[in-house]
Amino acid sequence: MSMAGPVSPLSTHVLNTAMGVPGSNMSLSLHRQDPSTEAWSLITTGTTNEDGRCPGLISKQMFVPGVYKMRFETGQYWETIGESSFYPYVEIVFIIKDPGQRYHVPLLLSRFSYSTYRGS
Amino acid sequence: MTECVPSNTDLSTPVHQTMAAAESSPLTTHVLNTGDGVPAARMALSLHRLDTNTMIWNMLNVGTTDQDGRCPGLISRDAFTSGTYKLRFETGQYWKSLGQTSFYPYAEVVFTISDPQQRFHIPLIMSRFSYSTYRGS
Repeated sequence: MSMAGPVSPLSTHVLNTAMGVPGSNMSLSLHRQDPSTEAWSLITTGTTNEDGRCPGLISKQMFVPGVYKMRFETGQYWETIGESSFYPYVEIVFIIKDPGQRYHVPLLLSRFSYSTYRGS
Repeated sequence: MTECVPSNTDLSTPVHQTMAAAESSPLTTHVLNTGDGVPAARMALSLHRLDTNTMIWNMLNVGTTDQDGRCPGLISRDAFTSGTYKLRFETGQYWKSLGQTSFYPYAEVVFTISDPQQRFHIPLIMSRFSYSTYRGS
């Protein structure tokens, strides 16, 4: 899934704030909403690397204005390390008006909390 | 002041019965606007439960936060069974009503209730470009 060449204009970073480590080997997916049908189309699936990142989420050409969703398989992640979690997954829905900018959508996560922000 | 009315409430019953249901909701929320340092008042929200047979979300309640950013009476003790729930906060509408744009059209928090005897507090701490949540009690 990772691209050689231009860097994805959309990036993420998963941090396990409970343990003070990157959230590595977490499955995630990127989706875009069809404006007329409101149905979600899957764009990319991937897994975070050792640093909790997932390069190559989307190409510049595919990164058009619209409503996007990042889905993080957080429940699976905690289960893999032998823990339960309050959230079965986390979905962050966001609006891209100007695809010329860079967008960073991180997830800071513990078993019982999470946060996100718009970075660049 | 608008208040969440549990879906199983008979609207012909006296107001005090609704208030009792409101006070004893085992699930509560609190929305805070950290951009302005105020409670997020008058934000629409809804509570849903996942039907695991059909994998469809059933809406249990809709409401609007009060002046303190809270929404009493989200669910009654009887209706609060184990399962997967979703709280959907209409954050985009909220910012728009204040004349602002926001990065997120809405925020949905999906969570698992294994022990409905406990109390669960699901706050949303948010600005135009960030939000966070945690499991409180």
